[in-house]
Amino acid sequence: MAVTAKAFQLWRSRIAPQDTVSDLCRVAGIKRSTLAQQLVRGKVSVPTVVAVARGYGLPAVDALAVFEGYEDLPARIAPPTDAELVSQVSHTDILRLLVARSEDRESSCTDVQMHLAPFPHRNSVRAWIEAIDPGDLRQQLAASTGVARQNLSAQLTAGRLAPEIAVQAARIAGVSLTSGLVVTGLLTPAEGGWPEDGRARALCALSDLDLVFLARDRLDVLGKQIRRAELDDGKDRAMWENLG
Amino acid sequence: MTTTTIQWIALVLCATGTAVRIPGARKGHGRTVFVALVLLTVAVGLSIPPIYEAADGLLGSVNIANLLLRLALYTVFLLIGVRMAAAFDSPLARRLVVGRFGVAILALTVAATLYFFVASELQGSSTALRAFDDQDTVQQYAAVGRLYPGYVAACLVLPAVASALDRGARTIHRVACALLAGGFSLVVVFVLLRLTTLQLGAWDILLPFSAILLTVLGLCLIWLSHTLGRRRSTRANRLA
Repeated sequence: MAVTAKAFQLWRSRIAPQDTVSDLCRVAGIKRSTLAQQLVRGKVSVPTVVAVARGYGLPAVDALAVFEGYEDLPARIAPPTDAELVSQVSHTDILRLLVARSEDRESSCTDVQMHLAPFPHRNSVRAWIEAIDPGDLRQQLAASTGVARQNLSAQLTAGRLAPEIAVQAARIAGVSLTSGLVVTGLLTPAEGGWPEDGRARALCALSDLDLVFLARDRLDVLGKQIRRAELDDGKDRAMWENLG
Repeated sequence: MTTTTIQWIALVLCATGTAVRIPGARKGHGRTVFVALVLLTVAVGLSIPPIYEAADGLLGSVNIANLLLRLALYTVFLLIGVRMAAAFDSPLARRLVVGRFGVAILALTVAATLYFFVASELQGSSTALRAFDDQDTVQQYAAVGRLYPGYVAACLVLPAVASALDRGARTIHRVACALLAGGFSLVVVFVLLRLTTLQLGAWDILLPFSAILLTVLGLCLIWLSHTLGRRRSTRANRLA
């Protein structure tokens, strides 16, 4: 669910009363046709709101809070949990740490020192959902947002999650409401209240046992993805080689 | 749409579908389907009166062209049947087409076709042997001619439907498989209808030629997806 065009126009007239739609688009760095289309349809996308807020130097979270469904966002920002932080480390970085520990050369715990790749990574969204899941997150999410389970799984598989669903997932799990927007790449870590070097600190705090099991789980996910991709490739090849 | 129009459209589509595959076939890609399409083009051409009369005239005006059309069609179904079964990953369909039973049906069909052809009096070219419809052997000849295509098409309907319903497959392949499934279903429906006493009228031409249109369109889509797929063949690193 995007925000309504009416609410967007109202907000726009408050933050930039003198600016035309063209000015707005130039400042926000979005295409005029994109915004025009969204306004015609009556729904303005959340990324557009964030881009406009950034363009005018407003905190993105405060800007979102103006709109229905996001009012409680600023009040419920909290530091991310360790599980959330670790979920945003890519499997290659986890394996690198494992190897480093095995050779007794673990460096100090900062993102830069540990060469952590910036996130979101390829499986950010699914890893985050799994990290915050109290057990029945998907059922509750489907029930409270009205989005079908199948549709939800498809979004996760594709590495996407609609903003309102990401916020609702955080509400259900009782974590910071901005986390879902950070792991989907809508907000930067800084905008969402994620501390610098938080991931490195959480990763360093893992015991050897937890680190090994974490690596195992990530490799498991990766293996399943590759198997599925090869299966699909095989189907394509069968089609092409026989009928192409 | 008149029956003649759909026949000419089918001929043009078959010829186009064949022509676009020439470069690939010269490099050795998809030769089986290429040969099948060449034969299908010939078969469709021989179903159109002016082409048939010209071709049969060269062969002595005793309707040998019709016999060639039949044999070409059987070959098309055999080749397409084997390739489709492999493409849909259906070992059962493959066994039914080139297993003992399938080969037996093919041998029986070819033998019966030759027998009824020789047993008929066919002096003077007549497209689809319409001038000789009063002969019993000619009717048997036509009935036998539908047996094998109907059998192969029936073997392929379900695998094609299954591939079209496969959610994990590319959309273009699902559409192509849906077209192929539609084509095979039409063949089966046509063969079954001809077993009844119903008078089909224009549908006697419309059904089989719609089947050809759908099948060739499906094959063209797969060819297109293959050609596009080859161009962007750089594969993403899956371990990154």
